[in-house]
Amino acid sequence: MKCARCGNEDPSYFYKGAKGIYCRKCIRYSRVLLDEELKSFDYEIAPGVDEYAFSYELSKEQKKASHECVEALKDHDVLLHCVCGAGKTEIAVESIASYLARGLKVCYAIPRKEVVIELSQRFEKIFNKARVTAVYGGHHECLKGDLIVCTCHQLYRYHRSFDLLILDEVDAFPLKGDETLMNIALNSCRGRLIFSTATLDEQLQKVIDERDVVTIELLSRPSRRPLSVPKLIVLPELLSFFYLFHLMRHTANQCIIFVSGIRKCISLYRFCRHFYSCTYVYSDLKERKENIEAFRSGRYHFLISTTVMERGITIRNVSVIILHYSRVFDSASLVQMLGRVGRGVKEDCGRSYLLSDHYNGEVRETLSYLKRANASL
Amino acid sequence: MRCLYCDKTIKTYTFSSLFLKEDELCPSCRKKLKIKRRKINLGEFEVETFYDYDGIFRDLLLQYKECHDEALKDVFLYGLKEYIETAYHGYRLLLIPSTAGKREERGFDHLKEMFRLVQLHRAEGLEMRLDFTQEGKKLEERALMRDNFTYNGPFLDKIVIADDVLTTGSTLKGAFSCMPKHSKKVKVLSLAYKNITLHY
Repeated sequence: MKCARCGNEDPSYFYKGAKGIYCRKCIRYSRVLLDEELKSFDYEIAPGVDEYAFSYELSKEQKKASHECVEALKDHDVLLHCVCGAGKTEIAVESIASYLARGLKVCYAIPRKEVVIELSQRFEKIFNKARVTAVYGGHHECLKGDLIVCTCHQLYRYHRSFDLLILDEVDAFPLKGDETLMNIALNSCRGRLIFSTATLDEQLQKVIDERDVVTIELLSRPSRRPLSVPKLIVLPELLSFFYLFHLMRHTANQCIIFVSGIRKCISLYRFCRHFYSCTYVYSDLKERKENIEAFRSGRYHFLISTTVMERGITIRNVSVIILHYSRVFDSASLVQMLGRVGRGVKEDCGRSYLLSDHYNGEVRETLSYLKRANASL
Repeated sequence: MRCLYCDKTIKTYTFSSLFLKEDELCPSCRKKLKIKRRKINLGEFEVETFYDYDGIFRDLLLQYKECHDEALKDVFLYGLKEYIETAYHGYRLLLIPSTAGKREERGFDHLKEMFRLVQLHRAEGLEMRLDFTQEGKKLEERALMRDNFTYNGPFLDKIVIADDVLTTGSTLKGAFSCMPKHSKKVKVLSLAYKNITLHY
């Protein structure tokens, strides 16, 4: 017995219902009967939608990586291992265009809904003749388009449908540690895959080892400016708040403050709103989109956030303060959070601060990763 | 055996398993699925509810009804079956019917399966005039459900009408309004209560 969608073979996950035996391992993505033949989702790609244009010039390194990616995809899958802000999306554009030109189906899958919305708008500008369809939780009435941009959770709707699937931030939630979702994602592709990440972890390494993958590395940003190495402040948690308020008082540009959980996020916001111009965001917040937009537009100076803002969001001239206590963040998360700084092509003067109660493990790992990446410039 | 919600392995050979029926949820998930007995007054009648429609209950019910996970059928009434049998002793159980489309899609009648172990005599004959789903509908549209029921069953003395979630009460009011001509005593129960002032 094997589930056609998630690849589960463990008999304890199969259940015999009225319509037949089905797999319970991937039941959260609707029922798939064992004897059911899963059909691929069929739609047509309009001709001439592959034309693309950037409103800015790609750097020499980006162009090189982009060509390498197109070439590698002819015979292999690709791992785009780039530092935060190196322009992974831009590097993938030429490959997307080459598939669209042949009338093949392409999907760009990312973990978070906000990033799907932002990225689909970016793709609409880049491929201005293509119909870019954003698919995410609560927005899946239309599943067809020339280019699909979706959250990883929505990939179950497209069984073996894509000729090119770009899996961005593979090392992040929800793909991280979720073997079922990873298998569903891999099964939605019938052609080539591009794995895209800034922080390669063991699970991804395992997936890559099982496939024929070519690695393309880009360890510098288009601006050629080094990655922001944070100022590390080792303090007990209680004192860290005094230091945080000191930093908030003296930070000139907009700043994202990363905290570890929803409760901390709310209580810090409730206190800070009386003294600073700030807003907050976490995954379940109803006004999440409005708050992010308000911060983006410059209405607020500080954004207190959980890890919901750690990936895929680009805000110019932003600084970052991370409250890393009781080892709540892993190295990949820290790198991503710090990667929010200095993403603008133009002069960017953001700074980063890491407030922690220790200097070892993931903190040491993060700092050495950033220094290593900067050394390659 | 695996917990049907979190997939963790449940210890099968415990002291309590000698006396009690095996639970298909692990103790920690069962603890989260708190029974909160309430009586909700809908004007014409009172509805007895057992859970709040949120958290783990909502996840389980959605998985059961929308993802068609039939394995969950016995999870909801675990620990309540005996209470319902005692409290509604002598009553006939009348379940709110699903739409034909949903029944066909799922392959099972979700309420029938949920209440299958409850030892009460069943009443039949409650039917929907139109295949009308309330999913994603506004409050005004949901109210149309009130006139959507007919009862073609025999005369019964005592009836208990059962549904899964009480939201606006339109479904239960519709079913209840069919009853008085036929029955002396009509009681109403719903597994969960969705407080719309909190959810909308």
